[in-house]
Amino acid sequence: MTPTPPASPSGSSGNLTVKQQRAAQRAVKLEEYHRQQKRSSRNRRIGLIVGITAAVAVIGLLVTSIVLTPKTASYSAGGDGAEIEGVETFENTSNHVETAVNYPQTPPAGGEHNPMWLNCGVYTEPVPNENAVHSLEHGAIWVTYDPSISDAELSTLKAALPSSYVILSPFEDLPSPIVLSGWNTQLQVDAADDPRVVEYLEEYWKSNDVPEPGASCTGALDAPGKA
Amino acid sequence: MPPERRSFGARRVVLMVVAAVAAVSIGLVGFSVGRLSTINNPTPSNTSAEAGFARDMQVHHLQGVELAMIIRDRTDDAPTRLLGYDIATTQAQQAGQLYGWLVEWDLRQAGPEPEMTWMTRPGRSDEAHGHTDGAHTPGERMPGLATDEQIAELSAADGVEAERIFLTLMIAHHQGAVDMAVAVEDRASNTSILSFAQAVIVSQKSEIDLMESMLADRQP
Repeated sequence: MTPTPPASPSGSSGNLTVKQQRAAQRAVKLEEYHRQQKRSSRNRRIGLIVGITAAVAVIGLLVTSIVLTPKTASYSAGGDGAEIEGVETFENTSNHVETAVNYPQTPPAGGEHNPMWLNCGVYTEPVPNENAVHSLEHGAIWVTYDPSISDAELSTLKAALPSSYVILSPFEDLPSPIVLSGWNTQLQVDAADDPRVVEYLEEYWKSNDVPEPGASCTGALDAPGKA
Repeated sequence: MPPERRSFGARRVVLMVVAAVAAVSIGLVGFSVGRLSTINNPTPSNTSAEAGFARDMQVHHLQGVELAMIIRDRTDDAPTRLLGYDIATTQAQQAGQLYGWLVEWDLRQAGPEPEMTWMTRPGRSDEAHGHTDGAHTPGERMPGLATDEQIAELSAADGVEAERIFLTLMIAHHQGAVDMAVAVEDRASNTSILSFAQAVIVSQKSEIDLMESMLADRQP
């Protein structure tokens, strides 16, 4: 292969020896090589900087998004399906009947019931089971207490209760001094300040798991003794 | 010798790594943007004004339903019965919205603190003026709520007398609801609650005007 001058012939090229021409060619090639090396090292540097910047940006965005957005709610008590020690659950039917019903639980915690629900509120006398059970079906909690508990204990109990969707009534022959009943759930406690009272209310009061969540607890039957 | 000839297999590995890194980066960016997009409308916490309002306004609205259903039983006056129908159906539907939002926010219907606590805390406008007290005094009744005695009085009356009691109670009831809605607007950031509160303010104010004129027409 005959080497050709790399650049357009200048006025002096004709005067160069072969050796000189080769040296000049080598010099041009070397210069070209250096230029390429420089370019590729610059590209590598740019690539590295872009890469690091992008990585930092992505990690920064991720950290920001986790730090700035709120955590999901968590509960010390209650929560969906929370296990509260001592809570019993049952399977009961929910038909309407106009007769008296023999309930498997004491106090009743679900089952057949009267078409009229019992209006929620505080009762100073025992209330009819068949009406109270209908209120449980609407999401109310029926809080029953043994008539022998002290006035102070009853006040403590009242203070722990929500202002609506609760029936509070005395009940003879309870299995424990205080029993809280919701639809198909029940908790027996010995004292009104038992922390499980609040936990039970948080978990089951106006529950979405009753047969008719959101149905009313007013406008039907006021039993005798409603305070 | 050009490097790509020297390590064709290594080049393929590098390409795969670059593709994987790019895919992970896109995933992380998507995740972050998704999270950040909730910043202006965060899910309300258990003690937030939103959650407190959603719980307490259910109590308030459901008493509105109760009063409205009582007056429908206690009078034959068509305009009053229509007003009762309107209030009962509207407030029952709205109470259901509040119930559903709490479910959606994964919060219980029972709050971790006493009723109305959210409104005893200072709002944005209170803080702007250096106030540390809220719009509600701890331990006081919910504004505008009728007492058991007032409900008994309404239930025992009939005709125009029942209408007068109902209108008087319901004007106060609506005024209380407006006060609570104004308070939550000053404390909340959740868009569902804010638009709900605004709707309550506008509709109940206009119903207060209507009820005041109805009450004036029924003076003995």
